[in-house]
Amino acid sequence: MNGKALIQALNGVYEWVDKRLHVTDLFNHTAGHPIPKSSASWFYVFGSATLLCFMIQLLTGCLLALVYVPSAAEAYTTLEYLTFRQELGWFLRATHYWGSNFMVGIMLIHVTQVFLFGAYKYPREITWMSGVVLMLLTLGLAFTGQVMRFDEDAYWGLGIGAAIAGRSPMIGQQVVNFMLGGPIIASETLSRFFTLHVFVLPGSVLALVALHLRMVLTKGINEYPKPGQIVRKETYDKEYATIIKKEGIPFFPHGIWKDLVAASIVIGGILFCVLMFGPKGPLGEPNPTQIDTVPRPDFFFLWIFAIAALMPDYMETFMLLVAPPIIIGLLFILPFINNTGEKSWRRRPIAVLSVILIYLALGLLTYLGQTSPWSPDMKAWSGAETPREFVEGRSPLELQGLAVLQNKQCRNCHAIDGIGGHRGPDLADVGTRLTKDQLVRQIIQGGGNMPAYGKNLSPYETDALVAYMVSLHPRGEQPARDSAVPATPAPMSVQEGEQHAAVGAH
Amino acid sequence: MKIAALSLACLSAIALSGCDNVPGRPKKEDRRPEPHHVTDFKTLYSQNCAGCHGNGQSVGPVISMNDPLYLSILPKEQMRQIVTSGRAQNGMPAFSLANGGSLTNEQIGIIVDNIYAWAKNPPPANAPAYSAPLGDVARGAAVFAANCASCHGADGKGLKDKAGSVINPAYLGLVSDQYLRTITIAGRNDLGCPDFASRVPGKAMTNEEISDVVAWLASHRENEFGQKLAPAQQ
Ligand code: HEC
Ligand code: HEC
Ligand code: HEC
Repeated sequence: MNGKALIQALNGVYEWVDKRLHVTDLFNHTAGHPIPKSSASWFYVFGSATLLCFMIQLLTGCLLALVYVPSAAEAYTTLEYLTFRQELGWFLRATHYWGSNFMVGIMLIHVTQVFLFGAYKYPREITWMSGVVLMLLTLGLAFTGQVMRFDEDAYWGLGIGAAIAGRSPMIGQQVVNFMLGGPIIASETLSRFFTLHVFVLPGSVLALVALHLRMVLTKGINEYPKPGQIVRKETYDKEYATIIKKEGIPFFPHGIWKDLVAASIVIGGILFCVLMFGPKGPLGEPNPTQIDTVPRPDFFFLWIFAIAALMPDYMETFMLLVAPPIIIGLLFILPFINNTGEKSWRRRPIAVLSVILIYLALGLLTYLGQTSPWSPDMKAWSGAETPREFVEGRSPLELQGLAVLQNKQCRNCHAIDGIGGHRGPDLADVGTRLTKDQLVRQIIQGGGNMPAYGKNLSPYETDALVAYMVSLHPRGEQPARDSAVPATPAPMSVQEGEQHAAVGAH
Repeated sequence: MKIAALSLACLSAIALSGCDNVPGRPKKEDRRPEPHHVTDFKTLYSQNCAGCHGNGQSVGPVISMNDPLYLSILPKEQMRQIVTSGRAQNGMPAFSLANGGSLTNEQIGIIVDNIYAWAKNPPPANAPAYSAPLGDVARGAAVFAANCASCHGADGKGLKDKAGSVINPAYLGLVSDQYLRTITIAGRNDLGCPDFASRVPGKAMTNEEISDVVAWLASHRENEFGQKLAPAQQ
């Protein structure tokens, strides 16, 4: 058989197959579809890069699922096994972890680019809206993925998530039960989040990606916006058709090579982080007996926790329950608020300004979330010593108050003179800040990220605690007084309070 | 393009060949020691006890374990028992895993054995018993006047610049009779409450006097309505 005949035969086979599978047609409608020449730009690679990350996550996720056991008893052990025993198990975990970080990061760049280039405007509203849902799903994947680690961080992250959900008016408890599969974090919780993480969310992402890509194909890729080129509903479609006719190039091979370069950079970046920084955790095993703590979540959620920690408590319910739906709703209907007009960011100062402000705010909050020492110290209740000057000179009742302060794990959140947890304020001079009544209220009712101790303290324990905290003020400084009660002129020793009163009564 | 491909190739080469010594690979040391594997006494004591009990250098709200006299009267087995089961009503947590604590029996053994390394002397000849039933309240009042009033006040409510009230109902509601007895015997050497032998120079308190004064202290307990309670029997 000579060469020509061979080619003819192969052609015949191809045509036979194509007649049945319509491969050429498929190619022309997908990879071969024409795009505006201007869109074959480096700015347009982030969408495909996000998709690439998702593919990496699917692959590594499937491999992880071979070993991972989603039960509270075994999750931790299987992760330890993967990290330390299984050949290249750490590599797999690290790739999945860094893949998710890259995916969230690149997705954010993609959203920002689409916003700045006005690509959400007519006629690509549905593309944008499906994108918003994809963004939420991706964040959902990141959050549920963090739970899969089921270590301390994951555990406390869930606890806080549940606390936020529990604030919903009326249905709070039901929402918590639904989310955790019961009132507390247990094995049911893990299987719920596992189902979300490996079935529900990835499935929804796949379906929406299909819609998203279909919209990209049918409505065409946004042309590179030029200042002064105004989008009008009446004329846009015709204008776009002209652009495609005049300077359209097929995506493959003319547009795709930049995406491929970007893809290799992304893969290289992920590999670099994997090899340099490795997987995260698992940290220590979760300890369900200690509930009064706050986690430090993975970085893309740090800003939420910074908000939760920095906000005055009267804003808390609003910020956690009302603001998110409003923000998401606004993002969702953005194409209808701002449907036509200028696309180029050079002519949209408000859009540019809001992007800058949002990123500044997110960056600052993330920084605060990373640096502020909010994490409680889990061993402080039994391990944190108290400096001599805050023990000596205390009456037996006040000493017991300090013992209660330790025993009730207040110390995990509150340092005394710098020693202890740093979740709440240092108590070394709390006696100068709060009166007895205010102290009682703070302990019984909690508030501002402090749990309410109401029923968990006996009256004697409360008495002792308050007596001790009243005694906490620097030598010579007056304790806080109710403004209604005039300060006694007599000089106060450190051991004032009951002894002082006793001397008077004597 | 070429550079990207090249660096990619390099990275994958590293990945495939040298996985054993890339910085990202978790090392054995990165592995969190399981809390149950800590066997160092210093660490165990400072993580589990030092917040409440002093260690000789630091002071805590409750009696220091570094008190040779105290250690000479408390049998080691009894301390092991206290640490294992705690005194839930009185703020001393139970530490054994079986009782919901975080320490294995071996770890409790390490803590207790090493605490007793702080014990220097054999018990003094006239040493009172670690525990005993409550004595007589009326006699206890006299014992208190002789041994304690100089610091805690004639009525026990405290003296300014000396020591605080030992009959405050909230205080008595939180501590056990045993703890009162422990303090009456061993004092608080870290806070200036003398022990049984040195309150009145040359006249150590007897076992009966100790039981009596503890009974007198305990007789000031109140219920939540501010009424006196019948003294609890041990
Ligand atoms: C989960 C951590 C946490 C625990 C446990 C905790 N607190 Fe707090 N506490 C806080 C936070 C956070 C604040 C600040 C509240 C605010 O911003 O209004 C606070 C505030 C306070 C204040 C007011 C301080 C001031 O200067 O305004 C007092 C007093 C206090 N806590 C006492 C206690 C006591 C006593 C306990 C134990 C019975 C306790 N806390 C347990 C987190 C905690
Ligand atoms: C949260 C504070 C706290 C911690 C932590 C703690 N204790 Fe205690 N402990 C107490 C209190 C309060 C009492 C007094 C209980 C009572 O009134 O009988 C006590 C009593 C005791 C006693 C008996 C004292 C007596 O009456 O003779 C011993 C022994 C003891 N603790 C040992 C330890 C050891 C060892 C550890 C560390 C493993 C430890 N404790 C940790 C609070 C604590
Ligand atoms: C030299 C003075 C002095 C004498 C005498 C004295 N104490 Fe004390 N006691 C103190 C001091 C100081 C404290 C530390 C607490 C304070 O400052 O109020 C204290 C604390 C106590 C405590 C609380 C300890 C704790 O850990 O909760 C008790 C109980 C007590 N004494 C009982 C007695 C009894 C009973 C007597 C007599 C048998 C007595 N004390 C005699 C000075 C004294």
